[in-house]
Amino acid sequence: MSELAFKVSGLSKSYGSKVVLDDLSFSVNINDFSVIWGKPGNGKSVLVRSIMGLERIDAGEVIVRGEDVTNKNAGSRNIGYIPQSFALFPHYSVRENIEYPLNLIKASDADKEKAVNRVAELLRIEDLLHKKPTELSGGQKQRIAIARGLVITTDVYLLDDPLVGLDFKLRERLIDDLRRTQEELKVAFIYVTSDPLEALSLAKTVLVLSKGKIVQQGSLTDVYDNPQTVQSMSALGFPEPNFVPGKISNGTFTSDIFSAQVNAPDGISDAIAGIRPEGIVIGENAKAITLEATVALVENLGSENVIYLKVKDRMLVTVISRTDEENLKIVEEAKIKISILPHAIQLFRADSEVKIGEGKRHE
Amino acid sequence: MNDIHLKNVSKHFGSLKALNDITFTIPKSSVTVLLGPSGCGKTTMMRIIAGLEEPTSGQVFFDDLEATNVPTRRRNIGMVFQYPVIYKGTSVRRNLELPLLSEKLSKDEITKRVDEVAELLGITEHLKAQVDELDNGTRQKIAVGREVARQPRIILFDEPITNIDITAKLELKRSLKELFSRLKQTIIYVTHDQTEAMTLADQIALMKDGSIMQCDSPSEIYKNPKSEFAGWFLGNPGMNFVVDKFINVKGNDIGSALFSQSIPLGAKAAQVKTLGVRAEGISVSNSQTPGSVSARILSKSLGTGGQYLLNLAYGDLTVKARVPHYIGRQLENNVWTTVANENVMFFDDAGNAV
Repeated sequence: MSELAFKVSGLSKSYGSKVVLDDLSFSVNINDFSVIWGKPGNGKSVLVRSIMGLERIDAGEVIVRGEDVTNKNAGSRNIGYIPQSFALFPHYSVRENIEYPLNLIKASDADKEKAVNRVAELLRIEDLLHKKPTELSGGQKQRIAIARGLVITTDVYLLDDPLVGLDFKLRERLIDDLRRTQEELKVAFIYVTSDPLEALSLAKTVLVLSKGKIVQQGSLTDVYDNPQTVQSMSALGFPEPNFVPGKISNGTFTSDIFSAQVNAPDGISDAIAGIRPEGIVIGENAKAITLEATVALVENLGSENVIYLKVKDRMLVTVISRTDEENLKIVEEAKIKISILPHAIQLFRADSEVKIGEGKRHE
Repeated sequence: MNDIHLKNVSKHFGSLKALNDITFTIPKSSVTVLLGPSGCGKTTMMRIIAGLEEPTSGQVFFDDLEATNVPTRRRNIGMVFQYPVIYKGTSVRRNLELPLLSEKLSKDEITKRVDEVAELLGITEHLKAQVDELDNGTRQKIAVGREVARQPRIILFDEPITNIDITAKLELKRSLKELFSRLKQTIIYVTHDQTEAMTLADQIALMKDGSIMQCDSPSEIYKNPKSEFAGWFLGNPGMNFVVDKFINVKGNDIGSALFSQSIPLGAKAAQVKTLGVRAEGISVSNSQTPGSVSARILSKSLGTGGQYLLNLAYGDLTVKARVPHYIGRQLENNVWTTVANENVMFFDDAGNAV
């Protein structure tokens, strides 16, 4: 049985005539890793500040563990907060930096020591506690800042894009740390990001933020396999999915590069077909839509290649395995045949970005 | 043929040892990428080759001639930096031809070189445009083009893609790759991004703590890392490591919870302290197959191209496995896995491949 940890309902915020949060509602459970994904400019930072009590909202409520905290100030909401950019105090030791939030709530020395030791163990930074921030690497500093956010004992933590701007390998490590930490603490993590790869790697539950609203919420697999909006498909996609504009009439989607039989309403002049990279395969395929393409760029990820393909003036992307020797013959400027799997096509309206149908599987 | 050779080069900044006794050769007409985490010494090494930094000890040779104390301007080197260097308030053509004016070239030769390089980089249509009007990615192409047009002996690139916005990044990467393959110029390229390195390099020099850990082609370094560090650094996720307490060495055979039968390794077995397996080297299935062992799925996440990344537990041992989307979505709780012998790497106490 899932227990409700946190809820916002009807959150609204405008700056003049600009609506930033538009009657936004969602809830998250205890012992869940929820990722709120949104592209820049869709209201992420205002949402974070509203949840933390750092922004006055026009309407709506913020409820933590069943208690309405809408009118409480930031310090008394009992939400752990891990900000995007964190300034560590350079002349304090790591231990003093981590226990700083506990000083603000006047915790006893014994409680402070216990709490710091607990998070230090979680994040494997025990041997850094006596050091000064200036002696640490970028990744270590990031861990200290995360530890400072986790040191407050609560069951709801808000993580505001804490890995942005870090090296790839460092991010990989911290992603593992954060997942493990959430699993051990069994608390609610609400993680806000614009990076699809972070959403894919961290989320158990995904919430897609678009134009100040949550447009889809569901399990990672559910949102990946059944995106209800263009933004949902973008949210969980690495490389970025292919989006091809076109129109639908007589049960057919037609674009400048392909047409496909679809299950979708007719008479839509501005539709978008979304196709994930794995929905495009190399070679001819009787049960698919075959096109001629020119290879524009092959990116080597080690075990797979990301292939950018030019079809007329449009760029498509697919991912293929490097373990298949045949695949290694695909190099820049090669002219090859590719096939779009019809059942991998998702159809959206261009104006509302809402899903309206999908491609018909070839029998 | 060798172009650049470093012999016992060290560089210390006070007590910090940025480079540690590096002996290294950069072959002609190919792309060498210096790859590593921040602080590994890659930028210092590039600056020493450029002559912007003097080594504390050791020598630098260009074509067998010592160049250690030759000033930068006489090394005939082109450089491209993180932020595009452009001359504002002038046209793209003017930007490309400026350095050529000080060389004794005919007008026709200058025009020819500028036209050629613009064509190579796909910026011919912008030649008359003012540079101020262009996006960062195109500006970086101009900075690249200016160096290429000079025809220096080497061109050094210091993270030229890092600060370009995401939409222009792809086009710049594509254009650099095409340029490199057509130019056949000696290129030294510094980055911390493994994908960039694997995509652009003829050879990758992987660096850590002021030393070169390995220098090989991208596929070789990925397939046969000579150290645990190389196995971890290349690949997303990095290689799985099975440490000492999870392996048992019996005579010349090595066993672990990952395999049903131990792997015969000969006399080298005694040195082995750690096993390495890549996430894609573990096959996972819902049903028992010959030679499979049972594992439990701790968690699932998604990765490139919809592949599932599984956190698997074999008792107290945990590893990551990567499987295609359609397989991963059907897997829950208990699964059966196999690892082919050729997918296992062996490392010694010091983290070096055995």
